Amino acid sequence: MSTRKYALLILAVAVLACIVAVWAPPLWRVAAIVAIAMLVLYVGYRHGVAIEEPTEVVHSNLHREEISDLMDGLAAESQVQCDQGLAELDRVKVLLHESIDTLIRSFNTMNSHVQAQRDLALSITNGMAGREGGEAEVSFSEFVLDTSKTLESFVDNTVATSKIAMGLVENMEVISGEVNAMLTILGEIEAISKQTNLLALNAAIEAARAGEAGRGFAVVADEVRALSQRTNQFSKEIRSHMDGVDSSLGKAHDSIYAVASMDMSFALTSKLRVQDTMARIERVNGEMAEAAREIDTLASRVGAEVNQAVTALQFQDMTSQLIGHAQTRVGALRKAAGEAAAAFASSDHVVAGLAQAKAHIQALAEVDRTRTNPVRQESMDSGDIELF
Amino acid sequence: MGKVVLTVDDSASIRQMVAFTLKSAGYEVVEAVDGEDGLNKAKAKNADLVLTDQNMPKMDGLTLIKSLRGLPQYRSAPILMLTTESSDAMKAAGRAAGATGWLVKPFDPQKLLEVVKKVIG
Repeated sequence: MSTRKYALLILAVAVLACIVAVWAPPLWRVAAIVAIAMLVLYVGYRHGVAIEEPTEVVHSNLHREEISDLMDGLAAESQVQCDQGLAELDRVKVLLHESIDTLIRSFNTMNSHVQAQRDLALSITNGMAGREGGEAEVSFSEFVLDTSKTLESFVDNTVATSKIAMGLVENMEVISGEVNAMLTILGEIEAISKQTNLLALNAAIEAARAGEAGRGFAVVADEVRALSQRTNQFSKEIRSHMDGVDSSLGKAHDSIYAVASMDMSFALTSKLRVQDTMARIERVNGEMAEAAREIDTLASRVGAEVNQAVTALQFQDMTSQLIGHAQTRVGALRKAAGEAAAAFASSDHVVAGLAQAKAHIQALAEVDRTRTNPVRQESMDSGDIELF
Repeated sequence: MGKVVLTVDDSASIRQMVAFTLKSAGYEVVEAVDGEDGLNKAKAKNADLVLTDQNMPKMDGLTLIKSLRGLPQYRSAPILMLTTESSDAMKAAGRAAGATGWLVKPFDPQKLLEVVKKVIG
């Protein structure tokens, strides 16, 4: 390719670069300039720039000023664009750094909060199972069992008392019957006493009729009568006591009967209620343990998510390095444009100047080929691990 | 008392993540911002494990490993590379410098912990 064609190509490219510079966003600006410059370098390298014959050199030298101006302009514009691009990339790095720092901090805090929550849930389950304080501590379920047993034995006692009271009522009725039988016998005794009294009276009358001879008999008859009256007196006293016993028995019977009939329904209802309450407490207890376990599961799931987030957040390190690498490339481009223009300007001759510029560009391209990209990853999957 | 891990990386976020991961597992973590800082901290405090990046200002990871291997207390201590570099040539250079292993970023915290546990228990 002739130098003229190459210069025209550079001119066209400069126009293109200006258009891109005006319209495209900053990152695209840098990318476009890099692409364009690479294209120019590639065309120059691939096709070569022919050094023309001396006759033509004289002719070409006529345009040396214009070409020099063009190259200076291109170099100046490249510098401005590259500097802006570099500054913008620096800002991207700073912004990334700041926001990722904040994100990592909040993830750390989140993780420690979740851990605390998990510990709390664990302590609740342990507390309910009584594992924390060792042997001395009574677990909640043991307490529920104890209470339930105590209440049940209380209810059972009440039921047993009620049964005994029923037995007592029956015994009372038997005693009452005996008392009545005794009262009947007492009636017999009273009748015998009455009859004895009557007999004594008749004996006294008969003794009076016998006169002097019956006097001794009359004394006996009086004594017999006195005995019968005393018997009658005793019998009345016994009856009065027996009546007292009978009425007391009646009262005791009523009281015991009340005890026997009252307690059964109440005790049975209580027993059912206690059983129901205990079942409910146990269910709530189970639900709480289940909830605590759920919290524990959720906490470990959050932990796993945080792990993934931590892996993903490392993109900042990779992009920073990639941006740094891109900045090196942009810097190389800036240098290439500047050095090519300076090399051309340093020569009086168009052809020699272009040759020098080309040599500079080639030298820089050589440097670029030896430069390796520190980041080869294409995705954010976690990297390989190799132990030597 | 947990074992001491020295993490050397110029990226603050990576240092933070390594520290966060290892501290949660009970290790003590010392941070250094580049190879030079790492070498000084390694001398000041005997680390049970050194975890270093490759590309850093002042001194890179390979140089740090070579320097550490020259010190008597780090002649056989485990040193792991944690870097974005993944080429076989770099890995071979790391092995030649005396690295114990090579971890390519990004790291999965769980896997990092497994490797650390395997190396220093």
